[in-house]
Parts: sequence; C-alpha cells; structure tokens
Amino acid sequence: MTRAKLPPWLLLLMPAFLILAAVVLVPLLLSLYSSFTPYHLTRPETLWKINFPFNYEKALTDPGFWKAFGRTVLLLTIALNLEMLLGLGLALMVAKVRRGQRTLRTMMMFPMMFSPILVGFMFKFIFNDNVGLVNNALQSMGLASTAIPWLVDGNLALFAIICAEVWMSTSVFAILILAGLFALPQDPLEAAKVDGCTPWQSFRYVTLPFLMPFIYIAMAIRSLDVARAYDIVQVMTGGGPAKRTELLWTMIGRTGYVDARMGYANAMGYIAILLSIAFTVYFFLKLQRARRELGMGD
Amino acid sequence: MKGFGAGSVLALLASFGFAPAAMAEGEFAGVTVEAKLIGGQQYEALYSRIADWEKATGATVKIISQKNHFELDKEYKADIAAGTTGWCVGSNHSSFAPQYPALFTDLTPLVSAESVAGFVPGNIKAATIDGKLVMLPRAQFDVSALYYQKSLYADPAKAEAFKAKYGYDLAPPETWDQFREQAEFFADPPNFYGTQYAGKDEAINGRFYELVVANGGKMFNDDMSPAFNSDAGKESLQWFVDLYKAGAVPPGTTNYLWDDLGNGFASGTIALNLDWPGWSGFFNDPAASKVAGNVGVAPAPKGSAGVRTGWSGFHGFSVTEACATKEAAASLVDFLTNEDSQKLESAPGPLPSRTAVWEYIIAQAKDDPYKSEVLAAFQETALTAFPVPPTPYWIESGNLIFPELQAAILGDKTVDQALEDASNAVDELMKENGVY
Repeated sequence: MTRAKLPPWLLLLMPAFLILAAVVLVPLLLSLYSSFTPYHLTRPETLWKINFPFNYEKALTDPGFWKAFGRTVLLLTIALNLEMLLGLGLALMVAKVRRGQRTLRTMMMFPMMFSPILVGFMFKFIFNDNVGLVNNALQSMGLASTAIPWLVDGNLALFAIICAEVWMSTSVFAILILAGLFALPQDPLEAAKVDGCTPWQSFRYVTLPFLMPFIYIAMAIRSLDVARAYDIVQVMTGGGPAKRTELLWTMIGRTGYVDARMGYANAMGYIAILLSIAFTVYFFLKLQRARRELGMGD
Repeated sequence: MKGFGAGSVLALLASFGFAPAAMAEGEFAGVTVEAKLIGGQQYEALYSRIADWEKATGATVKIISQKNHFELDKEYKADIAAGTTGWCVGSNHSSFAPQYPALFTDLTPLVSAESVAGFVPGNIKAATIDGKLVMLPRAQFDVSALYYQKSLYADPAKAEAFKAKYGYDLAPPETWDQFREQAEFFADPPNFYGTQYAGKDEAINGRFYELVVANGGKMFNDDMSPAFNSDAGKESLQWFVDLYKAGAVPPGTTNYLWDDLGNGFASGTIALNLDWPGWSGFFNDPAASKVAGNVGVAPAPKGSAGVRTGWSGFHGFSVTEACATKEAAASLVDFLTNEDSQKLESAPGPLPSRTAVWEYIIAQAKDDPYKSEVLAAFQETALTAFPVPPTPYWIESGNLIFPELQAAILGDKTVDQALEDASNAVDELMKENGVY
C-alpha cells in the first residue's frame, strides 16, 4: 500500500495557503457568517442563531446608513481629486528643483509619518471654535467677529476633515507622480519642443498621459484608504454632531464595538466593502486603458 | 494579656485598613491575581497600595491591561465574545456594569458584611444588579455640582442690570430656569459664554436624563420602554436648545466632552459650569486655571418639579465569574476600597463612597474654606443623587438618543420630532432585543 502523495507544487504552496487561510479566509468567513446572525458581543450564544436577511434588510432600509454611504462617496471624491491635483503640482515643482531635491522629497513625506490619530487631534485643535488657531487668526485679522463652528456645521466639518486628509496624504500622490516624472522619457518632450509645442501643450499631451498610470495607481491605493476612513473622523467629530459627518466606518465601528452589535455591524461592513470594490475596479479599468494608450499592453 | 495582644493586632491591622476576616498574613501566598484596571492620573495613585496588599497576603497582582473606561468596556465585550474572562479583577463603573450581566461574580459571599455596611447605602444599591453585588465602589463617586465665577456676582452694575431685566436678585442659580437666564445674561460671544454643556455620547445623554428627572419625568417606564418623549422630556431638551439658540454656549459645544468643559471653565471664558468633583482642585490651582481664587461652588440647581439634578455614578472593582482565585481577588477589591484606600484616593478631590471617609474628609477640610465649600455643595447634591436606569441597554439606547438631541439643538429637527424619533428608535431596539 502506497501513501497518496501530494504533487510537489501543491506541497510547496501549502504553507502560503495555510497562512492565507488562517489570517484572511477564516476571519472573512467568520465575519460573513456572523453578519447572518444577531451576534451581540456580550451575549456569545447569539452567534448560533441565524436571522438572515434581517441585518441586511435593516441596513439597506435605514436612511441613516445610506446618508453615511453617500457622505463617504462625497468625501472620497473630493479628497481624492484634491490630493491628486495638489500632489501633481507638488511633484512638478519638486521635479524642477536641482539643489536639495532629496531633502525636499524627505520633507514632503513628513505628514505621512504621523499617526492619523495624531493628525485628527491636531486638526481638531486647529478648527476648535473657541481656542482653535483658525478662528483666533480670523478674529485677530478682523475677518470674523463671531466664532465659526468649524466642527459643528455639516459642510464646514466635512471641509475640516478633508483638510486633515489632504494634509496627511497628498504626499502619497506626490511621491508616486514624482516617480513617474523621473521615468518619463525625454525624447517625446524634446520632439514636442522641436515641433513648437507650448509648455502647456507638452504637459497636456505628452507628460500627463505618461503620468496617468501612476495617478491611477495612487488613486486606487488612496480610494481604499479613504473609503475606510475612520481614525481622523472619529477623533475630530466622531461622526457628529447630529450625524452630520457620519461616515460608513464611524457608524460601523460604533455599532460593532460600543453597541456590541457585531452581527449587524458586519452586515453593514460587507455592504460597505462593495464601495471599495467598485472604486478599485473603476481605477483598475482606467489604469488598463491608460497603459494601452501608452502602448504598454495590459 | 492574651486579649490585649489580640486586640493590639486587630487595632494594628485596622490602622492599615485591613479587615481581618478578609485578609490574613500570607493567606494567598503563591497566588497571582490578574487585573484589568482603569488608567489615568486621577485613578492610578491608589494602585501604589497594591504592593501593601501583596506584602500582607503573599499574592502577586499582575496588571494585564490599563486603559480608560471606554476602552476597557470594548475590551470586556471582546473578552466575553472570545470567552477569555479568566483574569480576576476588573475596574468597573456603575453606568457600564449593567451591560455585563454574566461577566462579574456576586461579591456578597466573598466580602464581610461589616465591610459592605461601611459604604454609602445608595452606592451599594446601585452596585447591586439583579440581586448580585457586582462591584465595590472606590473613592471615585461622581455627581455634578455648579461651579461659577464669583466675581460676576460681586459686580453691582451687573446685579442692577440683571434685576432690571429679570426682576429678581442676581445670585448663584437655584433652579435650571434661573441658570438659563443667568447664562444668557452673562454671555458675550465669542469672548465669553454663559455656560457650556457636554454635547455628545453618554455625556449629553446623562445631562438630559438628570434634567428629565429634575423636571418630573423619567427616561424609561418600568418595562424599560422609552418614557422621555413626555412634557418633562420636551422641557428638558428645550433648555439645551434655548441656550444654544441664544448664543449662551460656545457654538462647538455639541462636540465637547468632559475635558473640553474643564479646560473651558479654567480658561476663564465660562460663567457657570455644571461639572464633576474631580475638577475642583484643578479649577482653583493658579498654575492651571485662570479662575483660581474666583471659583464658587453651589449644589446642582433644581428642575421644574423641585427635584435637584443628580445623575451619579462611581468607579469600582469587580471580580470575574471565571476567576480561579475569587477569594484572593475579592480580598484585593476589598482592600482597594477600604477606608485607608479611600482616604488616600479622596485626598486630592475625588469623593469617597464610604460613610466614615465622608466624615473624615469634611473634618480634614474645616480650615480650608474652598474645600469646605466644595464638599458642602457636593454632599448636598449627593443626598438626592440617582444612578442611571438599571438596563443593559443604557449605553446602546444612549447612542440612539444623543444624535437626536444634537439634531434638535442644532436646529435640524424640532424638539418634538427629535424626541419622537429617539423614542421610536429606542423602542425598536428594546423590541429587537426581546426586552418586551
């Protein structure tokens, strides 16, 4: 009797499969399963009671959930575009610098080195209505006579949160775009000059198309980050007041860990993941198209 | 001679705060008690006494977690979910305790009746859930009294203008209506505000709750269905709305929590401040506070039903049901809440939960007019204080109520609409969980 042997390729891949299963697949399946139950952290027996599709129905019919969903998409759209524009500008300027460019590049990355919690506290203080820097500066310069409630008004609070996000993460775009600029072949640019293109035309029709794959990669990475925005928002406003800055993950975090309704929180989490998948697929398709246009294949 | 010797030993033990029945020399030698304790400067001074307990009993205490209570709360819930509750001693709080009905054991058989009898009866009542004494309170009893800037009441021009406008003498408010009127009178935004309130999470929920009670209402009916959508509830929420609309509170107050309030009053830009006893030293410390030397303290005002607000709570220690060495753990809890521990902990300002220690600190403060004023105000308020409703859903229902309170304060909803929405949401929560 001979023992059945696994093929060598499967044997070699087995450790990777096992580790992936343990750290990714099992938690994923467990959380998916718990989203079909009324699982409450302080009542472990609730994990064994199936109530599908109650949690999903409750989330999908809750106007609060959809408002948070919409607000997350809005934050994502504004923050990503602003970061892209500012990152592009920053990269183009830094690329022109001849002396001290390395120091500048390092300095540019400073905001990324801060913990998002710290950034949240910093901007919470900056935008505090009573003792904050912004209000004090505006009042000292005579530009405002009343305390502007930056973190209370829905639009202003979203603006303050976007400021914090943009401050911390613009450099992600800048660094990736700068890498693209360094890899930019000089021949097409020189040919454009010889053909009499203006600097704007050179940028628009030569530099920018070449940079697009880098921009889409940065967009895909940052869209995943912003779609699960939690820490900065939690510190600055906690999703409030009156749910005015409630995002998907502040809502899910509170439901899961403070209210202990983990089953319902996981159901909302799985719906929210669709948002991240949609943005990733969108940017991936754009990336493929941009690469094809450059003749770089798929 | 024999009797004298035994008496001397007992006296010596008592002088160290030892309850002889609970602790004997080397009684728990070799035992390790794992503990999850609340962290923070205000709470950690007491932990220096743990070494004394270790020395006396031969046991070792291993602190495996030290966080603020909101973080501990999440950790306890995760422990219950994962079944990892074999650690023994945990910090607890009267507002959070009803959420963990099975996590902590009944301390009654583990602690001497004499020791339990030394606590303020109301505290022991609030620490007893479903007939189980789930925690022993430490000297961190909290109820809010009124801090105010004394100079505002000593200004004759202000007194005259106030009387002309409102028809009664300007004096520290005794009712919440007077409080509102005075806050509106003193306000001069954006440089000076009449008052402020914690505007989110359990903080505003608690303030709303105590005002509802003071106005003659209640948060929940006996079957735990919501009862705050009532005349008393509307009157209470209107009070918050009126102050906000009048600009008598900072515009960001709906984002404030306790630290913001404490620092705000200490900055000298707030006239009246309902706050906790732990701040009394800070407010009168010239190195930390601009209002030092100018702080008056009065009992919490009364609502329209003639009832004083008095939302109270306290920190304490509990022993887990799954603890393998419950006797040792209970001995530690008893030790950390005994008279000597409470004297140490209440020295910088926090209020005790043992009757004898209340008497002790009042006697100690008799030569310090400010401290005497603080203690008198808080003692008066504590007389009619009340804990949160005894439901495991206090925090969870609060998370549904407070955004609606904020919506009314900020003008997104009317008072009626906000309370109706909050009441419906809490009703759904209770039904979903099979409460009724």
